Amino acid sequence: MTRALLALIAAATVALACAGAATAQEELKIGAVGSLSGGGTAWGLAIQRGTQMAIDEVNAAGGLKLGDKTYKPRLVMYDDQYTSTGGKTAAERLVNSDGVKFILGPAGSPPALAVIGVTNPAKVIVLSDGYAPAILKNEAKAAYNFRALNSNVEFTPAMIAWLKQNMPEVKKIGLVCTNDAVGQAALPLLIDAYKKAGYEVWSELYDRGTKEFTPLMTRMIAQGVDLFDLNFNAPTEAGLLLKQARQAGYKGRIWQVGGPSVDEIMAVAGPLADGFLSYDVFDFDSPAAAKFVATYHKQWPGIINAQAPAWYNAAKVLFEAMRRAGTTDVDKVRDALEKLDGYDAGLFGPVRWGGMADYGVNHQLLLKFLIVEVKDGKRVTRAELQPEQR
Amino acid sequence: MFTPTLLAQVVVNGLSLGAIYVLVALGFTLLFGIMRVVNFAHGAFAVLGGYALYYLYGQYRLPYILAVPLSALLVAVISLLLERCVFRWFYQKMFQSMIGLLGLNMALVFGSVIIWDTYERAIPPAFNGMLQLGGVILPLDRLMVVAIAAAILALFWLFMSRSRWGLAMRAAAQDVEIAEAQGIDTLSTYRLAFFIAIFMTALAGGLYAQIYALSPFMGDRPLVVAFIAVILGGMGSIPGAALGGLILGFTESFLSTFYGATLSAFVSFGVVILLLIFRPWGLLGTPE
Amino acid sequence: MASVIGAAARSTRPRISALHGLVAGAALLLALWPLVFGNKFLLALATLVALYAIGAASLHLIIRTGHVSFAHAGFMGVAGYVAVLSQMRLGLPFAAALPLGCLAAATVALAIGPLILRVTGKYFVLVTFLFGEILRLVFTEWTAVTGGSNGIFDVPPPAPVFATPLGFYYLALGAAVLCVGIVARILGSEIGRTIDALREAERLAECSGVPVIRWKVAVFVVACALAGVQGVLQAHYLRLIDPTTFSIVESLNLVVMNVIGGMQRLAGALIGALFLTALPELLRGYVEMQRVFFGIILIIVMAALPGGIIEIGARLRALGKAR
Repeated sequence: MTRALLALIAAATVALACAGAATAQEELKIGAVGSLSGGGTAWGLAIQRGTQMAIDEVNAAGGLKLGDKTYKPRLVMYDDQYTSTGGKTAAERLVNSDGVKFILGPAGSPPALAVIGVTNPAKVIVLSDGYAPAILKNEAKAAYNFRALNSNVEFTPAMIAWLKQNMPEVKKIGLVCTNDAVGQAALPLLIDAYKKAGYEVWSELYDRGTKEFTPLMTRMIAQGVDLFDLNFNAPTEAGLLLKQARQAGYKGRIWQVGGPSVDEIMAVAGPLADGFLSYDVFDFDSPAAAKFVATYHKQWPGIINAQAPAWYNAAKVLFEAMRRAGTTDVDKVRDALEKLDGYDAGLFGPVRWGGMADYGVNHQLLLKFLIVEVKDGKRVTRAELQPEQR
Repeated sequence: MFTPTLLAQVVVNGLSLGAIYVLVALGFTLLFGIMRVVNFAHGAFAVLGGYALYYLYGQYRLPYILAVPLSALLVAVISLLLERCVFRWFYQKMFQSMIGLLGLNMALVFGSVIIWDTYERAIPPAFNGMLQLGGVILPLDRLMVVAIAAAILALFWLFMSRSRWGLAMRAAAQDVEIAEAQGIDTLSTYRLAFFIAIFMTALAGGLYAQIYALSPFMGDRPLVVAFIAVILGGMGSIPGAALGGLILGFTESFLSTFYGATLSAFVSFGVVILLLIFRPWGLLGTPE
Repeated sequence: MASVIGAAARSTRPRISALHGLVAGAALLLALWPLVFGNKFLLALATLVALYAIGAASLHLIIRTGHVSFAHAGFMGVAGYVAVLSQMRLGLPFAAALPLGCLAAATVALAIGPLILRVTGKYFVLVTFLFGEILRLVFTEWTAVTGGSNGIFDVPPPAPVFATPLGFYYLALGAAVLCVGIVARILGSEIGRTIDALREAERLAECSGVPVIRWKVAVFVVACALAGVQGVLQAHYLRLIDPTTFSIVESLNLVVMNVIGGMQRLAGALIGALFLTALPELLRGYVEMQRVFFGIILIIVMAALPGGIIEIGARLRALGKAR
């Protein structure tokens, strides 16, 4: 008995020693900011999970080798509550308290603008998301911040061109959106893009949090709209808009230049979603995605938010830049990031940077995207498009 | 724009909207009217009702007519525990109840996030068709909500005005001390009122989740709607909540259809403020 | 009633100098600690606490008249937008923009006060809740002026000195001391006694010739102007101004600070501001559970200490006496 116990203790000691040796690698804190409370929580969790998966992958391969040092990345994430105050506090804490040099997120313009206000002066690299052009086009000239996901500026032109070509019968577009930052900043640009392509446009904003659109849909039908664009609506609202448009008797086409939220829309609207077309960032059914989906589902069940793979991609891009720089020195990593064109992180094809024409700086990661259609409760890819590099 | 068909459609939309609002407001007004508790956790109970219906009807495929009351009953029974641990501290304490129940709301909502994640779920509709009369359309699931709202309202009113328990509740609402002196056990009266209020909130939450979508954050809107409907009609008054919900539904339908959503929000807030200033006890309430 | 107030005044007279000493000591401590500990995150947090202390203390002033306003963040917003716009569009210096912003908040309060202050208790809560929503809708919908939901960014620092975190901390601290001092001065004076009389016995006060509504409006206007200081400074602190900073959630935060700290005393509001700003930071480590814990803590504090955290002192004293 005593001997068995001693053996056990010895074994435990050996195991602990080994573990100790393994953790002797230097820890590298990777910061993340995202909404973990409030309406943007789904996006915050996408940041957390996508980044965590990339970190797990690095650690499973024995850590991140930079020069002659091996680092063990660890995620430190704080909630931004989808507000600017929250974003600022989270960034302050990451930068000044945790001493983080690299941050992923947040998603959404109010926290993203507040975060880069802290990180650019402090020389901290941020890969964020949000549709406000000022995220890249600001007084700091986006010195240390990048945008990791397409914004509407990137995907809209290609989609409208596709529409013109494939559905010549469409004449009048209906647009309904929230009055939040996305709706107010991005919608006018979208309206302009449609008008330039020769379409008539009817649009209307509603207050954030509305779930009942039947009256608005009745209003829209009375306007004679023949293509209803769900544009930048959050997943649930997009689903409800589609369902209630059909229930109110709308017979025209429905598509979404924005989102993407195909799964959520199918879940909310059921059979009414048939024939719906959408922008989509990621094909979960592709062979390249299978490994990602399987790894994700090992940790978390349920629907995968479409942004999760994009954040996984962003984290991998960041790690590759560190590898090429061979150091955690911020300026060198930033330069390596800028020169990363051609690196393939596995899910979205080779890295392409763009944005010079729109923001004066090539800090926009251009991700290929899809147009998908819902047919008999399944999504079918109609086209694969690339944002224009300019 | 003001064609007869469109106007008829606006009225029908208003009725179906109003029915949902009435259902959502009833549980809220009951808790306030009897225990003077402003239930900031109202939305969280609606969320729980939503998940209960999601499992009983959406997953376990119970017959709809059983699943709806059973899911509400389930939430109400479990909530008795919360009555014991949380609500009891806050009866007759206006501000403390607001903040304490705000805390409860947070704990329940973010507890739900941990259990059920944040993504939106859909509860399959019980009816898929649409009723078409002339050019006017009413989806069958909305028609069902109107019917349920009418039935609940009638039952509830009968209970409050005819049954012994209902009378006891109203006595306790008017003056706790005198009610106790008359031999009314206020503690168990409160427990019953709480049970009924949560039952109705969970029921409304289930239907709300089925018509819209279910997530842990679904409850914010019902809370605001209940708040406004109840003020309009008069805090604590049951016919008042019904009237408030209907007025809210009809104005929203009319204004959003003809003048857009933004104006609709401004006007409804403004009107309620004016009403509160000149008749704070609401349309059907009684001044204190 | 009068004799009670008199007795209270007499008994507090000698304690005031001790209190003064305490306050001076605390102020000195607040001014000096950043020079000793260089932690920048603590500094950012302390700046936020100082800013919220302004909002919470000014709301406390309204609460003392017996009205709990849920529109306080809305008034902060009015001041914030007016100050930022007058600085960025009209080119006014910060020293002129700040009072102008506060004046704007006061004007709105003066316009709306006589109407809404007739309503009391829960109805006032609801009226101000809705009014706060209307203000938020205005900030959101008036895109030509306010920038809508995107807000206005790249707000310049008040002066080069205040561009550093330490400089801004001293600015916020100075403003907080000044504003809280004004509130304390008002509450400690004749006016303070009138305010208490308004709350405790409105009818009686009215019968003794106190112009109730006029007093209430005056207090409301002053409090909203003071809240404006927080609104303006916060815009400069964040370097941007947008409607999310002035939503109903923020108003609710200020109310929670007052109730959880203790509604009866000014110190309660300050304790609440500290508690509510610091607590989420302490809980941030538990990423997914933080809000659940926060909620449970709110319940426990409110259930155990209906008078707020400040009641702990009284409880301890009672315990001491019992022994």
